[in-house]
Order: sequence, then C-alpha cells, then structure tokens
Amino acid sequence: MSLQQLNSNRFEEIIYDNCEPCLVIFSKKDCHVCKEVVPMLEELQPQYEGKFGFYYVDVEEDKNLFQRFSLKGVPQILFFNEGEYQGKVAGKVEEETIEEKIAEVLGA
Amino acid sequence: MDNIYDLIIIGGGPAGLSAAIYGGRAKLKTLVINKGTIGGLVDTTREIVNYPGYIQVSGPDLMKDFKKHAEHFNVEFLKEEVISVDFSQEEKIIKTKKGKEFSAKAVIIACGSEPRILNIPGEKTLRGSGVAYCATCDAEFFEGEDVVVVGSGDQAIEEGMYITKFARKVTVIILHDEGILDCNKVSAERAFNNEKMEFIWNSTIEAVLGEENVEGVKIKNLKTGSSSELTCQGVFFFVGMIPSTHFLKDSGLEMDQRGYIPVNEGMETNLEGIYAVGDNRVKYLRQVVSAAGDGATAAVAAERFIEELNYFNSKILQNDNKILLLFFNVFMNESVEFSTLLEKLISENGDEYKIFKVDMATKKSLAEKYAIEKVPSVVVLDKGKEIKRLDCSMNVEKLKSQLF
Repeated sequence: MSLQQLNSNRFEEIIYDNCEPCLVIFSKKDCHVCKEVVPMLEELQPQYEGKFGFYYVDVEEDKNLFQRFSLKGVPQILFFNEGEYQGKVAGKVEEETIEEKIAEVLGA
Repeated sequence: MDNIYDLIIIGGGPAGLSAAIYGGRAKLKTLVINKGTIGGLVDTTREIVNYPGYIQVSGPDLMKDFKKHAEHFNVEFLKEEVISVDFSQEEKIIKTKKGKEFSAKAVIIACGSEPRILNIPGEKTLRGSGVAYCATCDAEFFEGEDVVVVGSGDQAIEEGMYITKFARKVTVIILHDEGILDCNKVSAERAFNNEKMEFIWNSTIEAVLGEENVEGVKIKNLKTGSSSELTCQGVFFFVGMIPSTHFLKDSGLEMDQRGYIPVNEGMETNLEGIYAVGDNRVKYLRQVVSAAGDGATAAVAAERFIEELNYFNSKILQNDNKILLLFFNVFMNESVEFSTLLEKLISENGDEYKIFKVDMATKKSLAEKYAIEKVPSVVVLDKGKEIKRLDCSMNVEKLKSQLF
C-alpha cells in the first residue's frame, strides 16, 4: 500500500492536532535512494496499522516543510509522537533501524 | 517448482539487463533479482551521451528501454535483496532477505557498485544533515550556500558543476597537483571556466565538522602536512565506488582485494556456471556500453554451459549402457589415433559400451568435473557413476583387457 502523502495543512493536523505517533519520509521523485527506502516503508506499514502512522512528504511540492525542519537532503525519515519531534534517520536505512526507532518512540 | 530457473541474474543495471535480454531470447527461464530501482548506477545518471544509437538520453529512460526489451523476451523480475548464495552444488542456491529461496543452473553476478565511504569523523553522523552522495537528490537543499566536493573524477566534477546551479560556491578538494583532474577533458575545461567553482589542490579531507548540521570541513594539505578549516554547509563525497560483492564473501568465488571478481573472456569466474559482469569484474572500461557487452557475453556462455549440462544429464547420466567418456583434442594426432582405435574395438564387441567423445576445447566444464589433466583420457561410467579410468594404451589387447 502506498504511503499517504501530506501537504502542509494535513501535516499540521496529523502531527500537532491529532498528536499521532508516526513517521514522515521526506522524499522526492528523482532520488534513487528514496526509491529504495519508500517501498521498504510501504511494506512495513501494515504491521503497524492503527499503532503508528506512515506518511510521505514530497519536498518539491511542499518546500516549506523541509525548510522548517532545515533538512539537508533526501530521503530523511522524521519521527513524531504527541506533537513532538523525536529524531530522524537519513539516507539508505535498513528495515531494522526503522523498527528499532519506532519501538523507541512508542516506548518513550 | 516456481523457484527453479535456468538463469538467475543478480542486479538490474545495464550489464544485468543485457544478460537478461540474451538469456530470454535464448529461451532460458530467466529471473532478474534487483534490490533497488532498475538501472543501477545508470538510474542516477542525468545524461548519457555515449551509448550508441542514443545521441542524448537520461539514465532512467535508457534503462527503462533495456528493461522493456528484456520483458519482451519473457524475463521475470523480482525486487528483493540477495543476502546469501550457495554455489557449491550443480543447482546454485540464492537466498533473499525476505527468506525466499531460488535455484538456477547458472548465475550471473551483475550487482554493481556503491559509493565508497571514507570513514572520517562526521561523515556518518552528519549524513542527511549536510553530508551527501547524490547531487540530483540533494543539490537543491544548498541554495545560496557554500558546498565542498571531494574527488576529481567524472562524477565529482560533473556533479560539482550541477551543484553550482544552486549553491553560492562549490569548492573541490583534490589530491593532485594544481591543474590535474581525473575527469574527462571536456568536463575539466568547463569546470575551470565555471565562476562558482574553486579548487584546493594537493589536499584531502580529514573530518566533517558540526554538531547538528555541517558547519565546515577540516582539510589537510598533503605537501605541507598542515591542516586548515573551511566553513561550508554541505559536503558531497565522490571518492569512487566499491563493488557490492560483500554478500559473496564466503561463496568460494575468487575476488581481488577490492572485491572485484576476475573473469576470463567468457565472463566465467573460478566457479563453474557462475559469471561476473559490468562493475563487478576486473576490467579496463566501466561504461554502459561495455557493461552491456559483458552481459551479452556472460548470457551466451551461460546458455552453452546449460545446454551442455542438460545434454550430459539426459544422454549420459541416464543412459542404460555403460558409457566411455573419451576426452580428446582434435588437434593432437595421438588423441585422434586413439579415438579411432577405441571406436573400432567397441563396435567389434557388441553393445555393452557406448562412446561419448568430449572435445577438450569446447567442453571445459566436463573436463574439470572429471579432473582430466591429459588427453586422451577415458572415464568409464555405469548408470552415471564412474567405475574406472582406462590406461589409454595404443596396444589393442591391453586396451581390450581393461574393458571385456
């Protein structure tokens, strides 16, 4: 299943209004590393159905979002819980790294 | 079973896809296992101007055409990562990260290369926070900022120029003496004329500085030994590639120190039925056109190997007669004379034995399988099992006594 894409408004709602525990991948279309990481998240997503949200931001479509987090490159996966930023991982990451980070966020 | 193939190709870059086209066209049941996007390194190349037939094409577009071509010949594709192999048996086993297992008669290693990591302080921790490896992906994040590029090959200089479209200034750190770049001449000239490009010669990078984000780099001058710091917001590393062959470490496959696999002109490795192509093999030129050539060669070699294997399994190992495997060399008189003698002897003595002649020049794998060191040699098989070897005497009686 493909990841739900967020624009600035939806981003506000989900992260800060609903305070949902989730991750957001900042990606772009012509980045080859993103093309490896995004499908990995898509496959991981069903395991966390109802527990942890998986979202997608296209940095070319929503420039202000990556500027806000002063990101320097894609892909980057940002983690949130209760409206607070919980850290990020960058580049080509393995499935295990994501699982560990989710466990850490949910456990905190 | 669904997981049994004639030919499995690990990697979907130009070498792997070319092998797939040839494999599919030869009606081999062919599978390409590719972990990332199709096209490999070419998928990250914005512009290709030296692939014959295409005056100018983007890497991804060219690779889409390659893939379409392979699909046209019924090649199957699987997006997965191969994590281990067992090449010790006739059926080669391949295991993926998700726990799938495949077998094939022949395997072509075409899994390409990955950027070399320098392992200097800050490189890993600041990745995504200013440390980058892909200009197409990340250059625009450095709009109006100062960027350092490490390296002087084609990729470093061409990507560096691309970054100048966004950055205020691009400083290239170069190992060599002033004026010497490793890249092609056209790009070097363009880079020297680019007002936003600056060069620091005889130098290397020692560390990436910064806490949350990149704030600068520490540069060491190799001539004077002195270190200096340069403020910047981004560092792009283009310090060469290393072959992605680490998962083959324990496979018995021969590799050099850097992980490249030596092959002969048929792309054959030291293991029977295993081939290595493109950026995985020791070679002179690493381009799309030469990768494609490697793929074609390997697939044809694999096709012949599989044909031989099938023939041997069906005609020889499952034959009800006793078989005499005669290894010979057509260019050696002694071989030919012995062959004539043996054939005459067998035909005069009923149908207990059948002779299969094996030309050493073309059936190398069989010769290796039976560890044949000289010609002529004769291996006697009964229902596929070796029962003895003959002393290849030119004396008819001596020869006869060994057989009847």
